[in-house]
Amino acid sequence: MDSSLVMIGLANVLSVNNIACILGGTLLGLFVGAMPGLSATMALALLLPLTFSFDPATGLSMLASLYVGASYGGSIAAILLRTPGTPSAAATVLDGFPLSQQGRAGEALGVSLFASFFGGLLSGIALLTAAPLLGTLVLEFGPIELFAIAVLGITIIGSLAQGSVISGLLSGGLGLLLSTVGMDLTTGTPRMTFDQINLFGGIDFTVALIGLFSVPQALTLIENSHQGGKVASRITDRLMPRWSTIKQLMPNILRSSGIGIVVGLIPGTGGDTASWFAYNEAKRFAKDKSQFGKGDIAGVAAPESANNAVVGGALIPTIALGIPGSSSTAILLGALMVQGILPGPNLLTDYGDVTYTLIWAVILANIALLVVGLAFTKMSVSVTKIPDGFIACAILTLCIIGAFAINNSLFDVGLMLGFGLFGYWMSKAGVSPAPMVIGLILGPVMEISFQQSMLIGNDSFGVFLESPIATVLLILALLSILQATPVFRWLRMPFKRRLKQG
Amino acid sequence: MHAKALRHWLTITAMAISLSPLAQAADYVGGDEITVLQGFKPGGGSDALAQLVQPRLSEILGVDFVNEYMPGATGAIAWTRLAKQSPKNGGTISITNTPMLMTNYIMNDAITYKTDELTPIANVVTDPGIVVVNADSPYQTIEDLFEDAEQNPGTVTIGNSGVGGDDFFTTILLEQAKGLSLKKVPFQGDGPSATAAMGGKIDASFNNVGNVYGQIQSGNLRALAVFSEKRLTSLPDVPTMKEKGVDVVAGSSRGYSAPAGIPDEARQQLIEAFETLAKDPDFQAQAEKRAMNLDVVTGDDYRAMIDQMESDYRGIWESVKDEVGR
Repeated sequence: MDSSLVMIGLANVLSVNNIACILGGTLLGLFVGAMPGLSATMALALLLPLTFSFDPATGLSMLASLYVGASYGGSIAAILLRTPGTPSAAATVLDGFPLSQQGRAGEALGVSLFASFFGGLLSGIALLTAAPLLGTLVLEFGPIELFAIAVLGITIIGSLAQGSVISGLLSGGLGLLLSTVGMDLTTGTPRMTFDQINLFGGIDFTVALIGLFSVPQALTLIENSHQGGKVASRITDRLMPRWSTIKQLMPNILRSSGIGIVVGLIPGTGGDTASWFAYNEAKRFAKDKSQFGKGDIAGVAAPESANNAVVGGALIPTIALGIPGSSSTAILLGALMVQGILPGPNLLTDYGDVTYTLIWAVILANIALLVVGLAFTKMSVSVTKIPDGFIACAILTLCIIGAFAINNSLFDVGLMLGFGLFGYWMSKAGVSPAPMVIGLILGPVMEISFQQSMLIGNDSFGVFLESPIATVLLILALLSILQATPVFRWLRMPFKRRLKQG
Repeated sequence: MHAKALRHWLTITAMAISLSPLAQAADYVGGDEITVLQGFKPGGGSDALAQLVQPRLSEILGVDFVNEYMPGATGAIAWTRLAKQSPKNGGTISITNTPMLMTNYIMNDAITYKTDELTPIANVVTDPGIVVVNADSPYQTIEDLFEDAEQNPGTVTIGNSGVGGDDFFTTILLEQAKGLSLKKVPFQGDGPSATAAMGGKIDASFNNVGNVYGQIQSGNLRALAVFSEKRLTSLPDVPTMKEKGVDVVAGSSRGYSAPAGIPDEARQQLIEAFETLAKDPDFQAQAEKRAMNLDVVTGDDYRAMIDQMESDYRGIWESVKDEVGR
């Protein structure tokens, strides 16, 4: 690491212009993130053309801080309204909303903000200090390893199925099935598209997510608005979390940030995956699992620190190798290209001034997030004072705008509404939409990497055992499945007995 | 006092006129605004071309450009819209990527637009195909790769950017020319394919120069051969496939097309604008800085280029489609 470039970057970022852009970007990110239906990737794509006229460092600072802001902003709507503001906040709904129903919305939002801040800051530090080192790690992850990660991710479905395992598996299976719609990667054959070219690219999981989470909630709000009883939450507690709470959550936050950084590093997986992984691990490591899904604060801290840690994690291969770690960083890389900076390993050397400005901007954006986020959250809490009927209409409007904005496609709006009605039926039937979303996110990753692995390994399943990383991940997946079955208890019994005897 | 105020106003008006783009050459027959349908997401290769080309075209033609992104089905959604549903007044054009433009409908009957429903305006860049391997690869030259593939048919893994992309077809052309059988591994784009080669997950990646130039310069990837007519000035040590006795010249090209049936005058103005642009030294320098290989082919010549490609790729697909479909 060339320390002079690091200092040039710091000096660049500390200009009044850039700080203003970082503050503005963070605020914009918070806003976009908090709106159900508008995601970070989408906001980056929309803002990108505006930054073309900026100086590269300024434009990138603004885009990066928007990314940081949106990664936290998504949790506000998730906690207050039960509608994830961004795909990566979907896991936050599970415990965030029950907390807010119990009148602990302030605590949930405060913890979410601090968890996001720590996650983002840790990943920013990793980015600044270890980017070249960690960047090369990315090359270890080929199709075979990616398949193992997807399998491990799919096993989360089992542990997410609250109440009925069968209905959870049904929901997950449906998600996997729907993920096969679209063109087959290895043959180019369109599957289950009914000659509808809008389906050739598959079902965009963001479209499905908006429908499955936000529309049913809007309909439920309308349904209950006549009864006078409010479904959306009321805030009775303070926003600043107690130091003791933070201290108690620290191991969870550190672990989740680690998960976020690693998942962010790997191309093909991003905040949407990392938050589920972190949530699952928080549950696995918790002493008392009974409160998960009913309002455990750890279930908010984990996904939120993970999805903000993804920002720095995904930027590591982006700047170390010119390989984007997520769809959002792919857009940042596009911003560099448009500015005439060719992505590649020379980003840290030849274009070090711009790159280090970007890194410092990420770190500063997290500090800005803490300040701006506190004020913004205080403000957005007033959303709970609005009658439910109006909120429901606003959510539906945003869902339609959001679904359209992803690909500028009206077809996607129809698809989103279809998922919405299905999700409403699911919520009435007591089937959780979360496993379905995981199926839709990981299904394509799993299928494509499986086909590639089979091609690389000459149709032998042995390839998965030849890679140490894949082997370890697959064993973890197996253990994770066994843990959910009685088999694990039988296996553990002899050990427990021995311990007692000892 | 009165005269002074008047003069003051005149100055402001004059300034306003000189600043407005309308003042420069408001005589494009297609209107004051050209909508550019982009079939891919913002920030991709097509967008990079748009940001380089359109501000300059805007000055030449005296119009504003509005980008409309409608990604999906490898560009087919935007191109269907261009061919079937766009006004034919020269006010709507699209960035057309070849060979994707024709392989889309050659491979899928559900995609219904055809290139004869378009008015090709100008090709702008062609990114030549290139064979790259990991820096630690045992292949030092392209002959090493040929030899290995001959001895172990069907096992040498070659990454491409996806079925239907230029690299996929280039691999087939090479197989046919040399009588080889390679294992084609499709990825979701050129980037992931290059990354897999860098990690040594595949034996080689058939890619495009612009995508891997940085990685070659830094030594993460080694270039074995390029699919261009002549050696590239940016990579003078890398032999062409032609030198190695394989008559395959291929790459991924991007240009602009309008719907069929636009007014001749609009077509002519657009073509002239691209010809003027091609001569602009600043444009040439900026393109070089971005590793964009300029290949400006306008009007009838671009039409001929598209027709040639369409018949070539149709032929290749006919010969391999049963094998790919398995």
